[in-house]
Amino acid sequence: MEHRTSVDMDRRTYVKVVGASSVAGLTATAGCVGSLTGSGGDETPDKTLTAGTAPGFPPFEMKEGGDLVGFDIDLLEAVVAESEYTLSGWEEFEFKGLTPALGSEKIDVIAAAMTINDKRDKNIDFSNPYYSADQSILVRKGGDFSPSKLGDLSGHPIGAQKGTTGEGIVKDELVSTDQLKQSNYNSYGSYVLAVEDLVNGNIDAIVIDKPVAQTFQSERDVSIAFTYETGEQYGFGVREGDSDVQSALDTGLKAVRDSGEYAEIRNEWFSDS
Amino acid sequence: MLTPLLSSDWAFVADNVPYLFGGIVLTVALTAASILLGFLAGFPAGTVEVYGGRYASGAVETVGVVLRGTPIVVILLFAYFGTPIESAFVAAVLGLGLRSGAYQSQIFRGAIQSVDEGQMEAARAVGLSRLQAIRRVVVPQALRRSIPGFQNEFTIVLKDTSVAFAIGLSELLTRSNDLFVQNTNAVLEVILFASAVYFVLTFVTNRTLDYVGNVFAIPTGDST
Repeated sequence: MEHRTSVDMDRRTYVKVVGASSVAGLTATAGCVGSLTGSGGDETPDKTLTAGTAPGFPPFEMKEGGDLVGFDIDLLEAVVAESEYTLSGWEEFEFKGLTPALGSEKIDVIAAAMTINDKRDKNIDFSNPYYSADQSILVRKGGDFSPSKLGDLSGHPIGAQKGTTGEGIVKDELVSTDQLKQSNYNSYGSYVLAVEDLVNGNIDAIVIDKPVAQTFQSERDVSIAFTYETGEQYGFGVREGDSDVQSALDTGLKAVRDSGEYAEIRNEWFSDS
Repeated sequence: MLTPLLSSDWAFVADNVPYLFGGIVLTVALTAASILLGFLAGFPAGTVEVYGGRYASGAVETVGVVLRGTPIVVILLFAYFGTPIESAFVAAVLGLGLRSGAYQSQIFRGAIQSVDEGQMEAARAVGLSRLQAIRRVVVPQALRRSIPGFQNEFTIVLKDTSVAFAIGLSELLTRSNDLFVQNTNAVLEVILFASAVYFVLTFVTNRTLDYVGNVFAIPTGDST
């Protein structure tokens, strides 16, 4: 057959095209992660807010019978009720989709147990903190592994959820300092799956936010070995420079704390803290 | 110690079937719309790659390489957050559909190229124009040969719809996730149920396409 029906791409063109496509991909991602706009201050400010969250993180946000419930849900609704804004509704995303959703104005507030850190602070602004994000180390109940400090995890298979503070601690405190081999770290799409693996004996410990650890402790055969104080805190995320919403949330949060409503909501969701 | 398959956990799954059904409907709708868009974009694209001029086929190939070389999550995030599209469903269909079109174009390109060159020559010899020959002689044969590849693509799109949760669409797999977060003892049961649903959908689709293939098979005794 002497027929060449399609143009063979030579290798150089191929590399160029693939390079271009990955650059395009990266720019697209960067473009939607970066803050696209400041606040819409040039028109009459819209007094409704759409909130975004990532269910699957009990007791902060999860689905029950198809309804979105949790500490973050109740708290944000109480906080917004104390401000001049009204909450028009909730949108659900994967955790990693929240920042792009905020940047492209699909949502105005993130309430998703999001830890305030410098990396995130570059792209979005945070309200004042509303919860301390200490990390607990979960192990099998009645197992023979009972670590009492991070160093004890060395040499054991450890799990955490992708993109969480827990994962950050495993990577920064253990893997980077050569106390844990990279191959001993398992990352999961959801903490539920990590707990499943822990119960089944495939990993020996999980690094996870304390309140979430307490929820699992009451539901599954796992127990908290020790808690690692990170000094990190959760905040509500708002668009970079959206200071109106930011200060409304801060005022609302203070009012909710002062009225005792914050304590009520906390006791409802964290039975044993 | 494996989680025992408790009847109470299956009862939990049974109680939540209506909730999961909403996810199944969304999964099926996403798949159908994306496959259709993929066909409408991919079939002409495959044809252009074979018969088009240097510029037309070059342009189509470049677009195809970009779409095939970008992770589906990135495509979906871009379609929803990077464009003015308001509806997550439309953005998901656009992203899944165009990427499927890029894959389908190669299925059809292969099928068209597999039709013997002599078919074209014979068609031209009996007086058909080039376009008529493509339409009446080559394409009908190529379409039959593209069914197996198309079956594959159908299955891939069906399972890739689960990525749409990145832009907030809660299809079957997302809703399954919601359920086992609610009842962490039922992880295995919920996953088994969702897998069974995916299997049934895939199986029915494939059998249907097999049937279509048989109906339209070229009726000869010995060879096709």
